[in-house]
Amino acid sequence: MTSRFIRGTRAAPWLACLGLLVLWQIAALALKNDSFPTALAAIRAIPLILGDKEALINILASQRRMTIGFAVAIIVSIPLGLMMGRSRAVASFFNPLLMVIYPVPKAALMPIIMLWLGVGDLSKTLVIFLGVSLPVIYHSFEGAKSVEEKMLWSGAAMGLSAAQRMVRIVLPAALPEILTGCRTGLVLALITMVTSEMIARQSGAGNILFNALDMGEYDLVFAMIIIIGAMGICLDAMFEALRARLVRWSEPQFDMPLSFS
Amino acid sequence: MIEIDHVSQMFQTSARQDHLALSDISLTVEDGAFVSILGPSGCGKSTLLYIVGGFVSPTQGSARMKGRAITGPGPDRGPVFQEFALFPWKTVLGNVMYGPRQQGVKTAEAEAQCRALIEMVGLKGFEDFYPKELSGGMKQRVALARTLAYHPEVLLMDEPFGALDAHTRTRLQNDLLNIWERDRKTVLFVTHSVEEAVFLSDKVVMMTRSPGRIREIIDIDLPRPRRRSELLLDPRYQKYVVDIERMFDEGGAQGGAL
Repeated sequence: MTSRFIRGTRAAPWLACLGLLVLWQIAALALKNDSFPTALAAIRAIPLILGDKEALINILASQRRMTIGFAVAIIVSIPLGLMMGRSRAVASFFNPLLMVIYPVPKAALMPIIMLWLGVGDLSKTLVIFLGVSLPVIYHSFEGAKSVEEKMLWSGAAMGLSAAQRMVRIVLPAALPEILTGCRTGLVLALITMVTSEMIARQSGAGNILFNALDMGEYDLVFAMIIIIGAMGICLDAMFEALRARLVRWSEPQFDMPLSFS
Repeated sequence: MIEIDHVSQMFQTSARQDHLALSDISLTVEDGAFVSILGPSGCGKSTLLYIVGGFVSPTQGSARMKGRAITGPGPDRGPVFQEFALFPWKTVLGNVMYGPRQQGVKTAEAEAQCRALIEMVGLKGFEDFYPKELSGGMKQRVALARTLAYHPEVLLMDEPFGALDAHTRTRLQNDLLNIWERDRKTVLFVTHSVEEAVFLSDKVVMMTRSPGRIREIIDIDLPRPRRRSELLLDPRYQKYVVDIERMFDEGGAQGGAL
Protein backbone atom coordinates (compact mmCIF):
# COMPACT_ATOMS: atom_id res chain seq x y z
CA MET A 1 0.00 0.00 0.00
CA THR A 2 2.78 2.37 0.96
CA SER A 3 4.64 1.84 -2.31
CA ARG A 4 1.53 2.46 -4.36
CA PHE A 5 0.91 5.59 -2.28
CA ILE A 6 4.45 6.84 -2.96
CA ARG A 7 4.22 6.06 -6.67
CA GLY A 8 0.93 7.94 -6.82
CA THR A 9 2.49 10.91 -5.02
CA ARG A 10 5.39 10.99 -7.46
CA ALA A 11 3.20 10.84 -10.54
CA ALA A 12 0.69 13.42 -9.34
CA PRO A 13 2.58 16.62 -10.29
CA TRP A 14 3.30 15.27 -13.80
CA LEU A 15 -0.34 14.32 -14.24
CA ALA A 16 -1.34 17.81 -13.16
CA CYS A 17 0.98 19.42 -15.72
CA LEU A 18 -0.23 17.10 -18.45
CA GLY A 19 -3.84 17.85 -17.57
CA LEU A 20 -3.17 21.56 -17.72
CA LEU A 21 -1.58 21.25 -21.18
CA VAL A 22 -4.51 19.18 -22.47
CA LEU A 23 -7.01 21.76 -21.16
CA TRP A 24 -4.96 24.52 -22.74
CA GLN A 25 -4.85 22.70 -26.07
CA ILE A 26 -8.60 22.16 -26.09
CA ALA A 27 -9.37 25.73 -25.02
CA ALA A 28 -7.05 27.20 -27.64
CA LEU A 29 -8.52 25.03 -30.38
CA ALA A 30 -12.03 26.00 -29.34
CA LEU A 31 -11.37 29.73 -29.07
CA LYS A 32 -9.34 30.03 -32.28
CA ASN A 33 -7.82 33.31 -31.10
CA ASP A 34 -4.52 34.57 -32.59
CA SER A 35 -3.26 35.78 -29.24
CA PHE A 36 -3.92 32.38 -27.66
CA PRO A 37 -1.81 29.76 -29.39
CA THR A 38 -2.27 26.06 -28.70
CA ALA A 39 -0.11 24.30 -26.14
CA LEU A 40 1.59 22.36 -28.91
CA ALA A 41 2.48 25.53 -30.80
CA ALA A 42 3.94 27.05 -27.65
CA ILE A 43 5.94 23.94 -26.87
CA ARG A 44 7.22 23.83 -30.45
CA ALA A 45 8.44 27.42 -30.04
CA ILE A 46 10.55 26.58 -26.98
CA PRO A 47 13.53 25.28 -29.02
CA LEU A 48 13.43 28.53 -31.02
CA ILE A 49 14.24 30.42 -27.84
CA LEU A 50 16.59 27.92 -26.25
CA GLY A 51 18.39 27.42 -29.56
CA ASP A 52 19.05 31.12 -29.96
CA LYS A 53 22.41 32.18 -28.58
CA GLU A 54 21.35 35.71 -27.78
CA ALA A 55 18.21 34.55 -26.00
CA LEU A 56 20.29 32.16 -23.92
CA ILE A 57 22.68 34.96 -22.96
CA ASN A 58 19.66 37.00 -21.95
CA ILE A 59 18.22 34.25 -19.80
CA LEU A 60 21.58 33.57 -18.17
CA ALA A 61 21.96 37.28 -17.42
CA SER A 62 18.54 37.18 -15.73
CA GLN A 63 19.53 34.21 -13.67
CA ARG A 64 22.80 35.82 -12.64
CA ARG A 65 20.98 38.90 -11.37
CA MET A 66 18.47 36.77 -9.60
CA THR A 67 21.14 34.65 -7.92
CA ILE A 68 23.11 37.69 -6.76
CA GLY A 69 20.02 39.55 -5.55
CA PHE A 70 18.74 36.47 -3.73
CA ALA A 71 22.10 35.63 -2.16
CA VAL A 72 22.80 39.15 -0.91
CA ALA A 73 19.25 39.43 0.41
CA ILE A 74 19.62 36.24 2.41
CA ILE A 75 23.03 37.19 3.79
CA VAL A 76 21.66 40.53 5.02
CA SER A 77 18.13 39.53 6.00
CA ILE A 78 18.69 36.44 8.11
CA PRO A 79 21.02 38.12 10.66
CA LEU A 80 18.78 41.20 10.74
CA GLY A 81 15.63 39.15 11.27
CA LEU A 82 17.26 37.05 13.99
CA MET A 83 18.49 40.12 15.85
CA MET A 84 15.04 41.69 15.60
CA GLY A 85 13.56 38.51 17.01
CA ARG A 86 15.83 38.50 20.03
CA SER A 87 16.05 42.20 20.83
CA ARG A 88 13.03 44.34 21.38
CA ALA A 89 15.07 47.50 20.74
CA VAL A 90 16.28 46.30 17.34
CA ALA A 91 12.76 45.17 16.45
CA SER A 92 11.11 48.45 17.36
CA PHE A 93 13.73 50.33 15.34
CA PHE A 94 13.37 48.33 12.13
CA ASN A 95 9.69 47.34 12.31
CA PRO A 96 8.22 50.67 11.15
CA LEU A 97 10.74 50.90 8.31
CA LEU A 98 9.90 47.43 7.10
CA MET A 99 6.17 47.93 7.48
CA VAL A 100 6.44 50.92 5.15
CA ILE A 101 8.37 48.97 2.52
CA TYR A 102 6.51 45.66 2.80
CA PRO A 103 3.24 46.51 1.00
CA VAL A 104 4.93 48.50 -1.77
CA PRO A 105 5.26 46.40 -4.92
CA LYS A 106 9.01 46.33 -5.40
CA ALA A 107 8.65 46.70 -9.16
CA ALA A 108 6.88 50.01 -8.53
CA LEU A 109 10.16 51.33 -7.16
CA MET A 110 11.90 50.34 -10.38
CA PRO A 111 11.42 53.65 -12.26
CA ILE A 112 12.93 55.65 -9.38
CA ILE A 113 15.79 53.24 -8.89
CA MET A 114 16.42 53.39 -12.65
CA LEU A 115 16.66 57.16 -12.43
CA TRP A 116 19.33 56.84 -9.77
CA LEU A 117 21.25 53.79 -10.84
CA GLY A 118 20.50 53.47 -14.55
CA VAL A 119 18.84 50.64 -16.43
CA GLY A 120 21.68 48.20 -15.92
CA ASP A 121 22.24 45.19 -13.70
CA LEU A 122 22.53 47.17 -10.50
CA SER A 123 18.96 48.50 -10.54
CA LYS A 124 17.43 45.15 -11.36
CA THR A 125 19.51 43.31 -8.80
CA LEU A 126 18.55 45.87 -6.18
CA VAL A 127 14.86 45.37 -6.89
CA ILE A 128 15.27 41.61 -6.61
CA PHE A 129 17.16 42.14 -3.34
CA LEU A 130 14.28 44.22 -1.98
CA GLY A 131 11.70 41.68 -3.08
CA VAL A 132 13.49 38.79 -1.40
CA SER A 133 14.53 40.61 1.78
CA LEU A 134 11.18 41.25 3.37
CA PRO A 135 9.77 37.74 3.61
CA VAL A 136 13.16 36.43 4.73
CA ILE A 137 13.45 39.12 7.43
CA TYR A 138 9.90 38.50 8.54
CA HIS A 139 10.23 34.74 8.83
CA SER A 140 13.68 34.96 10.49
CA PHE A 141 12.16 37.41 12.96
CA GLU A 142 9.23 35.12 13.74
CA GLY A 143 11.51 32.10 14.00
CA ALA A 144 13.93 33.81 16.37
CA LYS A 145 11.13 35.23 18.48
CA SER A 146 9.61 31.84 19.14
CA VAL A 147 12.82 30.13 20.25
CA GLU A 148 12.15 28.62 23.64
CA GLU A 149 13.74 30.69 26.42
CA LYS A 150 14.73 27.59 28.39
CA MET A 151 16.72 26.35 25.41
CA LEU A 152 18.79 29.53 25.53
CA TRP A 153 19.15 29.20 29.28
CA SER A 154 20.42 25.67 28.84
CA GLY A 155 23.02 27.00 26.41
CA ALA A 156 23.97 29.82 28.76
CA ALA A 157 24.50 27.32 31.58
CA MET A 158 26.89 25.41 29.30
CA GLY A 159 28.89 28.59 28.94
CA LEU A 160 27.73 29.88 25.55
CA SER A 161 28.09 33.65 25.21
CA ALA A 162 25.26 35.77 23.85
CA ALA A 163 26.82 35.78 20.37
CA GLN A 164 27.36 32.03 20.46
CA ARG A 165 23.76 31.48 21.53
CA MET A 166 22.64 33.54 18.54
CA VAL A 167 24.65 31.51 16.04
CA ARG A 168 24.47 28.09 17.64
CA ILE A 169 21.01 28.04 19.19
CA VAL A 170 18.76 30.75 17.73
CA LEU A 171 19.90 30.17 14.14
CA PRO A 172 19.40 26.39 14.04
CA ALA A 173 16.22 26.54 16.14
CA ALA A 174 14.73 29.12 13.77
CA LEU A 175 16.01 27.41 10.64
CA PRO A 176 12.75 25.73 9.58
CA GLU A 177 10.98 29.10 9.74
CA ILE A 178 13.90 30.89 8.03
CA LEU A 179 13.81 28.41 5.17
CA THR A 180 10.07 28.93 4.75
CA GLY A 181 10.88 32.61 4.27
CA CYS A 182 13.67 31.79 1.82
CA ARG A 183 11.32 29.66 -0.23
CA THR A 184 8.83 32.51 -0.51
CA GLY A 185 11.80 34.76 -1.27
CA LEU A 186 12.93 32.51 -4.09
CA VAL A 187 9.58 32.70 -5.82
CA LEU A 188 9.53 36.48 -5.30
CA ALA A 189 13.05 36.69 -6.76
CA LEU A 190 11.76 35.13 -9.96
CA ILE A 191 8.74 37.42 -10.06
CA THR A 192 10.73 40.60 -9.44
CA MET A 193 13.34 39.43 -11.95
CA VAL A 194 10.75 39.26 -14.71
CA THR A 195 8.92 42.45 -13.73
CA SER A 196 12.14 44.45 -13.44
CA GLU A 197 13.02 43.41 -16.99
CA MET A 198 9.56 44.31 -18.08
CA ILE A 199 10.14 47.88 -16.92
CA ALA A 200 13.81 48.23 -17.81
CA ARG A 201 13.63 46.61 -21.22
CA GLN A 202 17.25 46.02 -21.99
CA SER A 203 18.04 42.36 -21.52
CA GLY A 204 16.78 39.27 -19.77
CA ALA A 205 14.02 36.72 -19.85
CA GLY A 206 11.33 39.33 -19.27
CA ASN A 207 12.67 41.33 -22.18
CA ILE A 208 12.39 38.38 -24.57
CA LEU A 209 8.81 37.87 -23.44
CA PHE A 210 7.76 41.46 -23.98
CA ASN A 211 9.64 41.85 -27.24
CA ALA A 212 7.76 38.85 -28.56
CA LEU A 213 4.54 40.40 -27.34
CA ASP A 214 5.31 43.64 -29.20
CA MET A 215 5.97 41.68 -32.37
CA GLY A 216 2.75 39.69 -32.00
CA GLU A 217 4.66 36.40 -31.83
CA TYR A 218 2.28 34.82 -29.39
CA ASP A 219 3.66 31.30 -29.53
CA LEU A 220 7.02 32.74 -28.46
CA VAL A 221 5.31 34.64 -25.64
CA PHE A 222 3.74 31.48 -24.32
CA ALA A 223 6.92 29.48 -24.86
CA MET A 224 8.74 32.02 -22.70
CA ILE A 225 6.04 31.79 -20.04
CA ILE A 226 6.54 28.02 -20.00
CA ILE A 227 10.31 28.48 -19.69
CA ILE A 228 9.95 30.91 -16.79
CA GLY A 229 7.44 28.61 -15.13
CA ALA A 230 9.79 25.66 -15.56
CA MET A 231 12.60 27.69 -14.04
CA GLY A 232 10.39 28.37 -11.05
CA ILE A 233 9.50 24.71 -10.60
CA CYS A 234 13.13 23.61 -10.92
CA LEU A 235 14.39 26.21 -8.48
CA ASP A 236 11.69 25.37 -6.00
CA ALA A 237 12.35 21.64 -6.29
CA MET A 238 16.07 22.18 -5.78
CA PHE A 239 15.43 24.40 -2.81
CA GLU A 240 12.95 21.95 -1.34
CA ALA A 241 15.50 19.13 -1.61
CA LEU A 242 18.07 21.25 0.21
CA ARG A 243 15.54 22.34 2.83
CA ALA A 244 14.44 18.78 3.51
CA ARG A 245 18.05 17.78 4.16
CA LEU A 246 18.71 20.72 6.47
CA VAL A 247 15.64 20.43 8.67
CA ARG A 248 14.84 16.75 8.58
CA TRP A 249 14.90 16.86 12.39
CA SER A 250 11.83 19.10 12.45
CA GLU A 251 9.70 17.53 9.75
CA PRO A 252 6.31 16.16 10.66
CA GLN A 253 5.94 12.52 9.72
CA PHE A 254 3.71 13.11 6.71
CA ASP A 255 4.57 16.18 4.76
CA MET A 256 2.51 17.17 1.76
CA PRO A 257 5.08 18.64 -0.59
CA LEU A 258 3.62 21.86 -1.88
CA SER A 259 5.39 23.58 -4.71
CA PHE A 260 4.17 27.06 -3.92
CA SER A 261 4.30 28.72 -0.54
CA MET B 1 27.26 25.69 49.49
CA ILE B 2 24.49 27.88 48.12
CA GLU B 3 23.37 30.86 50.18
CA ILE B 4 20.20 32.74 49.39
CA ASP B 5 20.17 35.95 51.35
CA HIS B 6 16.98 37.99 51.87
CA VAL B 7 15.87 37.57 48.27
CA SER B 8 12.71 39.27 47.04
CA GLN B 9 11.44 39.26 43.49
CA MET B 10 9.00 41.72 42.00
CA PHE B 11 7.39 41.26 38.59
CA GLN B 12 5.32 43.57 36.51
CA THR B 13 2.14 41.95 35.33
CA SER B 14 0.83 42.59 31.85
CA ALA B 15 -1.62 45.03 33.45
CA ARG B 16 1.46 46.96 34.67
CA GLN B 17 0.83 46.11 38.27
CA ASP B 18 3.62 45.11 40.59
CA HIS B 19 3.42 41.54 41.72
CA LEU B 20 5.55 40.30 44.59
CA ALA B 21 6.57 36.76 43.64
CA LEU B 22 9.11 36.09 46.37
CA SER B 23 9.32 37.83 49.68
CA ASP B 24 12.43 37.85 51.84
CA ILE B 25 13.73 34.34 51.23
CA SER B 26 16.84 33.20 53.07
CA LEU B 27 18.05 29.64 52.64
CA THR B 28 21.32 27.77 52.84
CA VAL B 29 21.88 24.58 50.89
CA GLU B 30 24.79 22.42 52.03
CA ASP B 31 27.05 20.66 49.56
CA GLY B 32 25.81 17.24 48.62
CA ALA B 33 22.30 17.81 49.96
CA PHE B 34 19.14 16.95 48.08
CA VAL B 35 16.80 19.83 48.85
CA SER B 36 13.26 20.13 47.53
CA ILE B 37 11.35 23.36 47.27
CA LEU B 38 7.71 22.47 47.71
CA GLY B 39 4.80 24.77 47.23
CA PRO B 40 1.54 25.48 45.41
CA SER B 41 1.75 26.66 41.84
CA GLY B 42 2.38 30.36 41.53
CA CYS B 43 4.36 30.56 44.78
CA GLY B 44 7.53 31.59 43.03
CA LYS B 45 9.45 28.36 43.68
CA SER B 46 10.69 28.16 40.10
CA THR B 47 11.72 31.81 40.23
CA LEU B 48 13.86 31.01 43.24
CA LEU B 49 15.56 28.28 41.23
CA TYR B 50 16.10 30.63 38.28
CA ILE B 51 17.76 33.12 40.64
CA VAL B 52 20.21 30.46 41.79
CA GLY B 53 20.73 29.53 38.14
CA GLY B 54 21.56 33.15 37.36
CA PHE B 55 18.81 33.32 34.72
CA VAL B 56 16.88 35.90 36.72
CA SER B 57 18.41 38.53 38.96
CA PRO B 58 16.54 39.24 42.18
CA THR B 59 14.93 42.60 42.83
CA GLN B 60 16.36 42.58 46.33
CA GLY B 61 18.87 40.45 48.18
CA SER B 62 21.49 38.21 46.70
CA ALA B 63 22.40 34.60 46.05
CA ARG B 64 25.89 33.20 46.49
CA MET B 65 27.53 30.01 45.36
CA LYS B 66 30.64 29.01 47.32
CA GLY B 67 30.76 32.53 48.72
CA ARG B 68 30.77 34.20 45.30
CA ALA B 69 27.80 36.29 44.23
CA ILE B 70 25.78 34.75 41.41
CA THR B 71 25.67 37.20 38.51
CA GLY B 72 24.72 34.92 35.63
CA PRO B 73 24.41 31.33 34.43
CA GLY B 74 27.45 29.09 34.57
CA PRO B 75 28.41 25.45 34.08
CA ASP B 76 28.75 24.96 37.84
CA ARG B 77 24.93 25.03 38.04
CA GLY B 78 23.14 22.75 35.60
CA PRO B 79 19.42 23.22 34.98
CA VAL B 80 16.89 20.54 34.05
CA PHE B 81 13.57 22.03 32.98
CA GLN B 82 10.06 20.65 32.94
CA GLU B 83 9.96 21.60 29.23
CA PHE B 84 13.10 19.48 28.54
CA ALA B 85 14.51 22.31 26.35
CA LEU B 86 16.50 19.85 24.23
CA PHE B 87 18.11 21.05 21.02
CA PRO B 88 15.75 19.52 18.44
CA TRP B 89 18.31 19.71 15.61
CA LYS B 90 20.75 17.53 17.53
CA THR B 91 20.49 13.79 18.08
CA VAL B 92 20.46 12.35 21.58
CA LEU B 93 24.23 11.97 21.45
CA GLY B 94 24.63 15.45 19.96
CA ASN B 95 22.57 16.96 22.76
CA VAL B 96 24.51 15.21 25.50
CA MET B 97 27.86 16.08 23.90
CA TYR B 98 26.98 19.76 23.53
CA GLY B 99 28.20 20.85 26.98
CA PRO B 100 31.49 18.91 27.01
CA ARG B 101 32.28 20.07 23.46
CA GLN B 102 31.59 23.65 24.50
CA GLN B 103 34.08 23.23 27.31
CA GLY B 104 36.73 22.01 24.92
CA VAL B 105 36.68 18.29 25.67
CA LYS B 106 38.04 16.42 22.64
CA THR B 107 35.35 14.86 20.47
CA ALA B 108 36.44 11.25 20.96
CA GLU B 109 36.74 11.63 24.71
CA ALA B 110 33.42 13.48 25.00
CA GLU B 111 31.71 10.85 22.89
CA ALA B 112 32.93 7.99 25.07
CA GLN B 113 31.80 9.76 28.24
CA CYS B 114 28.47 10.72 26.76
CA ARG B 115 27.71 7.26 25.47
CA ALA B 116 28.30 5.95 28.98
CA LEU B 117 25.99 8.62 30.39
CA ILE B 118 23.28 7.79 27.87
CA GLU B 119 23.54 4.18 28.93
CA MET B 120 23.33 5.22 32.58
CA VAL B 121 20.04 7.06 32.02
CA GLY B 122 18.72 3.98 30.22
CA LEU B 123 18.76 5.17 26.63
CA LYS B 124 21.33 2.86 25.10
CA GLY B 125 20.40 2.30 21.46
CA PHE B 126 18.75 5.70 21.09
CA GLU B 127 21.96 7.71 20.54
CA ASP B 128 21.08 8.66 16.97
CA PHE B 129 17.42 9.50 17.56
CA TYR B 130 16.17 13.05 17.29
CA PRO B 131 14.18 14.53 20.22
CA LYS B 132 10.93 14.54 18.22
CA GLU B 133 11.21 10.77 17.98
CA LEU B 134 11.30 10.30 21.76
CA SER B 135 8.58 10.11 24.42
CA GLY B 136 8.40 12.70 27.20
CA GLY B 137 10.12 10.45 29.72
CA MET B 138 12.93 9.69 27.31
CA LYS B 139 13.36 13.39 26.53
CA GLN B 140 13.75 14.13 30.21
CA ARG B 141 16.34 11.37 30.51
CA VAL B 142 18.28 13.00 27.68
CA ALA B 143 17.97 16.40 29.35
CA LEU B 144 19.33 14.94 32.61
CA ALA B 145 22.23 13.28 30.79
CA ARG B 146 22.93 16.48 28.86
CA THR B 147 23.22 18.43 32.10
CA LEU B 148 25.24 15.75 33.94
CA ALA B 149 27.63 15.64 30.97
CA TYR B 150 29.27 18.95 31.82
CA HIS B 151 29.69 18.03 35.48
CA PRO B 152 27.83 20.85 37.24
CA GLU B 153 28.38 21.01 40.98
CA VAL B 154 24.70 21.69 41.53
CA LEU B 155 21.68 20.30 39.70
CA LEU B 156 18.78 22.73 39.44
CA MET B 157 15.67 20.72 38.66
CA ASP B 158 12.56 22.70 37.81
CA GLU B 159 9.57 20.36 38.19
CA PRO B 160 11.44 17.98 35.92
CA PHE B 161 8.83 15.23 36.08
CA GLY B 162 5.81 17.52 36.09
CA ALA B 163 4.89 16.90 32.46
CA LEU B 164 5.11 13.12 32.67
CA ASP B 165 2.48 10.47 33.33
CA ALA B 166 2.42 8.86 36.79
CA HIS B 167 4.16 5.65 35.76
CA THR B 168 6.99 7.36 33.91
CA ARG B 169 7.33 9.81 36.73
CA THR B 170 7.83 7.05 39.29
CA ARG B 171 10.46 5.33 37.17
CA LEU B 172 12.36 8.56 36.63
CA GLN B 173 12.27 9.32 40.35
CA ASN B 174 13.78 5.91 41.08
CA ASP B 175 16.45 6.33 38.44
CA LEU B 176 17.28 9.85 39.57
CA LEU B 177 17.76 8.59 43.14
CA ASN B 178 20.02 5.77 41.95
CA ILE B 179 22.14 8.18 39.94
CA TRP B 180 22.24 10.72 42.73
CA GLU B 181 23.14 8.22 45.42
CA ARG B 182 26.25 7.34 43.41
CA ASP B 183 27.84 10.79 43.27
CA ARG B 184 25.78 12.92 45.67
CA LYS B 185 25.75 16.18 43.81
CA THR B 186 23.94 19.07 45.43
CA VAL B 187 20.38 19.09 44.07
CA LEU B 188 17.81 21.84 44.28
CA PHE B 189 14.54 20.27 43.22
CA VAL B 190 11.33 22.22 42.64
CA THR B 191 8.08 20.28 42.85
CA HIS B 192 4.47 20.56 43.93
CA SER B 193 4.22 16.88 44.83
CA VAL B 194 4.56 16.11 48.53
CA GLU B 195 5.34 12.42 47.94
CA GLU B 196 8.01 13.26 45.40
CA ALA B 197 9.65 15.77 47.74
CA VAL B 198 9.69 13.38 50.73
CA PHE B 199 10.81 10.39 48.67
CA LEU B 200 13.80 12.18 47.15
CA SER B 201 14.99 14.78 49.63
CA ASP B 202 17.14 15.31 52.68
CA LYS B 203 15.34 18.55 53.31
CA VAL B 204 11.99 19.92 52.20
CA VAL B 205 11.49 23.66 52.02
CA MET B 206 7.77 24.43 52.25
CA MET B 207 6.66 27.65 50.67
CA THR B 208 3.49 29.69 51.03
CA ARG B 209 1.27 30.83 48.25
CA SER B 210 2.05 34.18 46.67
CA PRO B 211 3.95 36.10 47.75
CA GLY B 212 6.24 33.13 48.23
CA ARG B 213 7.81 32.92 51.64
CA ILE B 214 9.50 30.04 53.38
CA ARG B 215 6.96 28.52 55.69
CA GLU B 216 8.85 25.65 57.18
CA ILE B 217 12.00 23.65 56.53
CA ILE B 218 11.65 19.97 57.32
CA ASP B 219 14.54 17.53 57.57
CA ILE B 220 13.61 14.20 56.08
CA ASP B 221 15.33 11.68 58.26
CA LEU B 222 14.89 8.51 56.24
CA PRO B 223 17.66 5.99 55.55
CA ARG B 224 19.48 5.84 52.22
CA PRO B 225 19.72 4.21 49.80
CA ARG B 226 15.96 4.52 49.55
CA ARG B 227 13.90 1.91 47.80
CA ARG B 228 10.39 2.88 46.85
CA SER B 229 8.91 -0.51 47.78
CA GLU B 230 10.34 -0.29 51.31
CA LEU B 231 9.76 3.40 51.75
CA LEU B 232 6.06 3.38 50.89
CA LEU B 233 5.51 0.92 53.73
CA ASP B 234 7.68 2.85 56.17
CA PRO B 235 5.48 4.62 58.76
CA ARG B 236 8.06 7.41 59.04
CA TYR B 237 7.70 8.18 55.32
CA GLN B 238 3.92 8.10 55.61
CA LYS B 239 4.04 10.41 58.60
CA TYR B 240 6.18 12.96 56.76
CA VAL B 241 3.77 12.99 53.82
CA VAL B 242 0.67 13.29 56.00
CA ASP B 243 2.21 15.95 58.25
CA ILE B 244 3.29 18.12 55.33
CA GLU B 245 -0.07 17.78 53.61
CA ARG B 246 -1.82 18.68 56.86
CA MET B 247 0.39 21.73 57.30
CA PHE B 248 -0.54 22.96 53.82
CA ASP B 249 -4.23 22.35 54.56
CA GLU B 250 -4.07 24.23 57.85
CA GLY B 251 -2.39 27.12 56.10
CA GLY B 252 -5.81 28.01 54.70
CA ALA B 253 -5.92 31.36 53.04
CA GLN B 254 -2.47 32.29 54.25
CA GLY B 255 -0.58 29.14 53.39
CA GLY B 256 -2.75 27.93 50.59
CA ALA B 257 -3.56 24.36 49.64
CA LEU B 258 -1.60 22.45 47.02
